[in-house]
Amino acid sequence: MRAAIDKALLLLCAASILMPAAAAAQDPERDSIPSDVRVGILYQPSFRPGIIVPPISTTDDMQELADSAREILLRDFDFGDRFQVMRVGDDVPLEGPVNYNLWDQMGAVWLVIGALEGTPDSPVLRLSLHDVVFKLLQDVQAFELPSVGDERMRLVLHRASDRVTEWATGTAGMAATKIAFVGHGSGGSEIYVVDSDGYNPHQLSDDNSITLSPAWSPSGDRIAYMSYKGGDPAIYELSLNPGRSTLLVDLPGLDLTPSYSPDGKTLAFGSTVDGRTEIFTYDLSQRCCPERTTFARYSNSLSPTFSPDGKRIAFNSDRLGQLHIFVKDIPDGSPELVTPYIYDRSVHNAGPDWSPKGDRIAFHGWVQGQPQIFTVAPNGRGLRQLTQVGRNEDPSWASDGRHIVFASTRHGYEGLWVLDVVSGRIRRLVRAAGARLPAWSGSLDSPSHFAEGAAAGSYNNR
Amino acid sequence: MASMWKKNVGWLGTVAIALVIAGCSKAPAPEPEPEPEPQVEDTRDMEAERAAREAEEARRLAAEEARRREVERNRVVSILSERVFFDFDRSDIRSDMESVLQRKVSVLREYPGIVLRIEGNADERGSNEYNLALGQRRAEAVRRYLLSYGLEAGRFSTISYGEERPLVRASNEQAWAQNRRDDFAITNYGRLDSGD
Repeated sequence: MRAAIDKALLLLCAASILMPAAAAAQDPERDSIPSDVRVGILYQPSFRPGIIVPPISTTDDMQELADSAREILLRDFDFGDRFQVMRVGDDVPLEGPVNYNLWDQMGAVWLVIGALEGTPDSPVLRLSLHDVVFKLLQDVQAFELPSVGDERMRLVLHRASDRVTEWATGTAGMAATKIAFVGHGSGGSEIYVVDSDGYNPHQLSDDNSITLSPAWSPSGDRIAYMSYKGGDPAIYELSLNPGRSTLLVDLPGLDLTPSYSPDGKTLAFGSTVDGRTEIFTYDLSQRCCPERTTFARYSNSLSPTFSPDGKRIAFNSDRLGQLHIFVKDIPDGSPELVTPYIYDRSVHNAGPDWSPKGDRIAFHGWVQGQPQIFTVAPNGRGLRQLTQVGRNEDPSWASDGRHIVFASTRHGYEGLWVLDVVSGRIRRLVRAAGARLPAWSGSLDSPSHFAEGAAAGSYNNR
Repeated sequence: MASMWKKNVGWLGTVAIALVIAGCSKAPAPEPEPEPEPQVEDTRDMEAERAAREAEEARRLAAEEARRREVERNRVVSILSERVFFDFDRSDIRSDMESVLQRKVSVLREYPGIVLRIEGNADERGSNEYNLALGQRRAEAVRRYLLSYGLEAGRFSTISYGEERPLVRASNEQAWAQNRRDDFAITNYGRLDSGD
């Protein structure tokens, strides 16, 4: 099986190296990739250690919760792409001390023992992570869960699985996150939100107008977006609890493509200057002072995205006569080209998103007239193409810096897909015509996020 | 001059009487009265007939005027609504679109009260977000063209809908060509509405 996959990957690589030449012959105008740059779909063959989560022990009145909690943990570990999830039957003996030899023989590296205690009103999930190879208890924690039936249950369990992932790998998982996106609406489009595992998709905005470009606040409790609901397109902010929309910035002309700085104090966005689009910053703590940060007469600059330290932005501009990704210091600093300039071509690179780990910028660029997902280092090195089937657009990084959500038409259906850039594994998140412009939240595990949810009494806004 | 004045007064008088009668006839169910004398009725009939004729004539003239206005309004609206199309990923005015814009310039000069919203649009191929900027450039290109003919800046506003409002919902070159366009919405009709 592994050999077959390797062979398929090799073929893919060969095909993608050969293809640019063929493409150039057919349609020389529509390529974002220079023909002398080799871009292949190369994924590292990586070892994923086996993880086992035996059935969670509990009392009869919480059996249902114990079973669903286990399913959520297993799916999170699978979707996180760091572990090989191993299924075991119910006949495995769980009583007594941990039988490391047994798990070792099954090929597991990690073992997660769960016990659900307390009462249905205030259940407590005790999770312990065992290192099967070194035969020791890696870590243990009791997670307080909301009462049975509470809508926040899934998020709290995702949070627990993210902790377990952190114990095992050193970096937290990305299960306790949500993805905002644009979908069809009565007046054009509305903002929707879905959990990282595809559960609980729901409409958040109710603008009955055109809404675009959702962006998460770092705290994860607000989404900035563009809406036409006031007539003049402006940047609004949606709070998640409850889903209320308020005006954030409205400069003359179009205001578009908002993005929060990592400290949440600044909003960068595009706005009209003399009929073209330039990037501005806006002080969110003072609620004032839009300040222009790009200066390119006769061309557009838009779609800003902050580096994790908040000192630089990557953005989209057509200042060279082709559409490219640039990086610049803010507020001052001259833009530096990140994507390759190709003489005499119509290049279309757009939708940049800076990884929260800082090392890569994802974007989409045209290959044979179809957008595909790429990543590149902020200094312009190491360009990598990650997709090649159908149209693939508007990538957004997960908090773990290795998963990307994007809009795709692969397999003939419009929808949102999640790609693990390390292994190349891909899964569908949302299947919906018109689902586009996804934005992945940061980790929704701050105490304030949960406190607000508790105060509102309901996580669902509609 | 004096006789004409008298004549006018006399004419006005009859009209006034006729109007009064007409007004009376519309009054709610008057009490039954004895039949009026035939002679008086005769005169009234003649006057009423004349008034009716004149009213008919006025109506005809008004209808004709309304028709004329309607035709003129349709002409103005259709010229101003004519779409301007663009090449792929471009926002400069195509030479074959200049005649469309020239017609707009002359109509806008003729009707200085008209205010337009220029709406830029893009085809579906570029990125959603970049197409917003591109649509804005297309709206701005036409606005600049119109301003270059000395039309007042205050008469034009611009907006971009990016690729959100396609004219033709299809993914082929014909559809894309139709969707790369400026639409025009008349936000103030000026004297087309005020009626002089």
